Amino acid sequence: MKGIGEGKKGRQILLLIVLGVVLIGSCTKTNEFTIGKDFMAPETRLEVVDTFRVDISTILVDSIITSSKKIAYVGNYEDTIFGLISSRSFFDLDYELFGEIEEKAVYDSAAFILNYTSKNFGDTLYPMSVSVHRMTELIVPVNKTALFNTSSFDYEPEPLSTVVFLPEPNGQDTSVNIAVNAFGEELFNMIRSKDEKVSSEELFRDYIKGFVLTSGSVVNHAILGFNANPERLVLKLFYHVNREEPEEKEITVKMGDAGRQFNKIDFDLSRTPLAGIRENKNEVPATLTGNKAFMQGMTGLYVKCSFPTVQNLMAGERWKILKAELIVEPEKYSYEKFELPDSLYLYAGDKRNNMSTLRDGKGLQLRALFEFDDYLHENNRYTFDITDFMLNELADSYFNPDQSLILGLAMTEQGGRFERLIVEGRRPPVRLKLYYLSY
Amino acid sequence: MRRLVTPYALAFFLMILVPVTLTSQITTSPYSIFGLGILEGNSSGLSRAMGGTNIAFLSENAINYGNPASYDGLDSLLTIFEIGVFSKYSMFQTSHNNQSLLNANFRYMSMGFRIAPWLSTSFGFTPYSSVGYRINSTAFLEGTSIEYPKTYIGNGGVNRVYLGGAVSFIKNLSLGVNASYLFGDITHIEASEIYEFSLEDITYLSNFTFNYGLNYQVDVNDWKYNVGFIYSDGKKLNTRNTTTIETKYEKEVLKSRKYRYSIPRTVGAGLSVRKDFFKAGVDYEWSNWEEVDFSSTYLHTRNSNRISAGVEFPSQGLRKGSSRMILFRFGGEFRESYMVIKGVPIDYRAVSMGLGLPLKGVVSVVNATLEFGQNGTMKRDLFRENFVTLSLDLSLRDLWFRKRQYN
Repeated sequence: MKGIGEGKKGRQILLLIVLGVVLIGSCTKTNEFTIGKDFMAPETRLEVVDTFRVDISTILVDSIITSSKKIAYVGNYEDTIFGLISSRSFFDLDYELFGEIEEKAVYDSAAFILNYTSKNFGDTLYPMSVSVHRMTELIVPVNKTALFNTSSFDYEPEPLSTVVFLPEPNGQDTSVNIAVNAFGEELFNMIRSKDEKVSSEELFRDYIKGFVLTSGSVVNHAILGFNANPERLVLKLFYHVNREEPEEKEITVKMGDAGRQFNKIDFDLSRTPLAGIRENKNEVPATLTGNKAFMQGMTGLYVKCSFPTVQNLMAGERWKILKAELIVEPEKYSYEKFELPDSLYLYAGDKRNNMSTLRDGKGLQLRALFEFDDYLHENNRYTFDITDFMLNELADSYFNPDQSLILGLAMTEQGGRFERLIVEGRRPPVRLKLYYLSY
Repeated sequence: MRRLVTPYALAFFLMILVPVTLTSQITTSPYSIFGLGILEGNSSGLSRAMGGTNIAFLSENAINYGNPASYDGLDSLLTIFEIGVFSKYSMFQTSHNNQSLLNANFRYMSMGFRIAPWLSTSFGFTPYSSVGYRINSTAFLEGTSIEYPKTYIGNGGVNRVYLGGAVSFIKNLSLGVNASYLFGDITHIEASEIYEFSLEDITYLSNFTFNYGLNYQVDVNDWKYNVGFIYSDGKKLNTRNTTTIETKYEKEVLKSRKYRYSIPRTVGAGLSVRKDFFKAGVDYEWSNWEEVDFSSTYLHTRNSNRISAGVEFPSQGLRKGSSRMILFRFGGEFRESYMVIKGVPIDYRAVSMGLGLPLKGVVSVVNATLEFGQNGTMKRDLFRENFVTLSLDLSLRDLWFRKRQYN
């Protein structure tokens, strides 16, 4: 029997095979084939609708947890949009068993050491005045869990000490020292004499109680955020021991439990568009505030979006949502002085504006990154993918008009940041964009 | 014994395996979006070489399932197993565009032998119709000026298994019938990769159908004249449909749709003449497609007509019947197909040529066929298909019954 390719017949077969291979090489790729498309009768239509009415308003949440944020805000700042905001920071000291201090030791000085962070709000080019006051009552967390931007405790009206300085949050000096020499000497002597008040945690806390950092009565131009890690916010007692060469020594008393460190925020909206918010059940519709809505972390301002016309979509029967987006546009140029938050987060709100976190497919809180259009500033926006939310809401073919979406910072950051956002843009400033397939 | 087992084991193995593994996607043509798809015809690769002419031919050295009466021509000692494949290169042409596709697939498989002097049989598997296309289109994202890519995909088709028999009680007159079971599914998909959705419409089809055949031979000296008739009744196919819409988030089976699929009543007649290793024939076939309605926007049906003619003759110079004899075949075919698209009838024309090459070994004959043809028109924004088809049929023959007698 002859092999393939041998003989006249074999050659002919071979020729056909070669011809076949040549033909394969000249074919249109299947993903480029288009002939016949005119005879397709499409049964699906993909539509985009972003003309749903979105009602926005600013809501004020009264108590924002500000404890355990490991940041101590002190200062005040005023502008015409968010009004006068001032922050005081409360903390106490950690008790530890103090060691022996030698007979020959001589007290020198004492100071609170405040370390800068990058989280500052306002204009840091002006001198700042920061006072430290001694508290007259203990810091007690509400329900033993948390302290809020509204929490407060009594302290001596007269400061222990006040320091005026030019803030250099990005400079060489990484810290600001507030001298408390007299108080330091009292504590130093107690330690040296092994006073009962420094012999146990209970007695020590009762003696010290705590401290408050305030602006005093001074008008500052910024709110500075200092590091409030227990290791980094400390009281230092300096002394020396006289020997042939004087030996310098110090005692470091760390900040107490971070759960008892919090920031008390006072803000006065009376000269802002939001003046009547408290009288109006903590909600002001954007229609009353120049079609703008306002969000700010620690003051507890959120932007609420509701969708009164989505229910009308239900009229048709055969459709599926492919994608739902919530697009939020910040007011043009409102971010020149205050950087916008890198990411915004979404909460679901009910009729009473009770908020619950929305999560994405990975179980993370639903968020949107800021997209900056640095050319025309026309397309600056946050875009949330709210497909899951819409699908859930529409699962029973009913969209509850009381259901809202609320924009804020991350749950963990709302009480630790002053970042703010003014929502405005081509009307409406917040758009719900639905991609849906009808078939 | 070994020589006996090998080819038939292979044959049976293929008979079982091929239909199972075959997804019956044979066609790759935009024409297959309509109705049952492209009709695969009723002829083997060998017949294709003669323009598909087969109504009046008897099954002598090859099985002619086009006319069941032809089984009466099977050699009483020979068992034939055939399998055919083909490869088709199509160039689709519109008034401003040219695109081409290549596909290769299975055409048929059949087996035939004589049971008794008055009874012979054949059974096999062949595609009846096939759907295969993938067309890239675009659609507007409504409410915007954005266009997005959308793909239309179709696949599947109708397969046929048949069992046929031919009887002859009167000399030179044979009658035959093929009982066929048609089954398959046709899927049309409309999908977008970008927006992650698809609408998939699957229709499962099945039914039994019968084709009847008659062949009568007149001998005049050494010349044999045959006349053949075929008839098959129209039949509604049983359908079951599932339409599924799927998005990234949801999948829903929609209400089943009602589709009507039928196959038409068909009649055909053929004449052939034969002497030694020469034969020639003509066919005419008519199908009553007008009574079949596919409820399509673009497609209307008309009654189809097919005429074809073909000739087969042996190589010159060799002793006729020798094992080295090559058979040459030529043919032509013209079809007024059942399709009228946008009011334009779709006609088909092809010329063909082929070789029958005898071999030694398990495979006794290789039939190679080349067809060159044209389908459709470029009128009214339609498209024309120019194609070349290469078919290869392998014929395995053995003297089954004689060997058994020796055992």
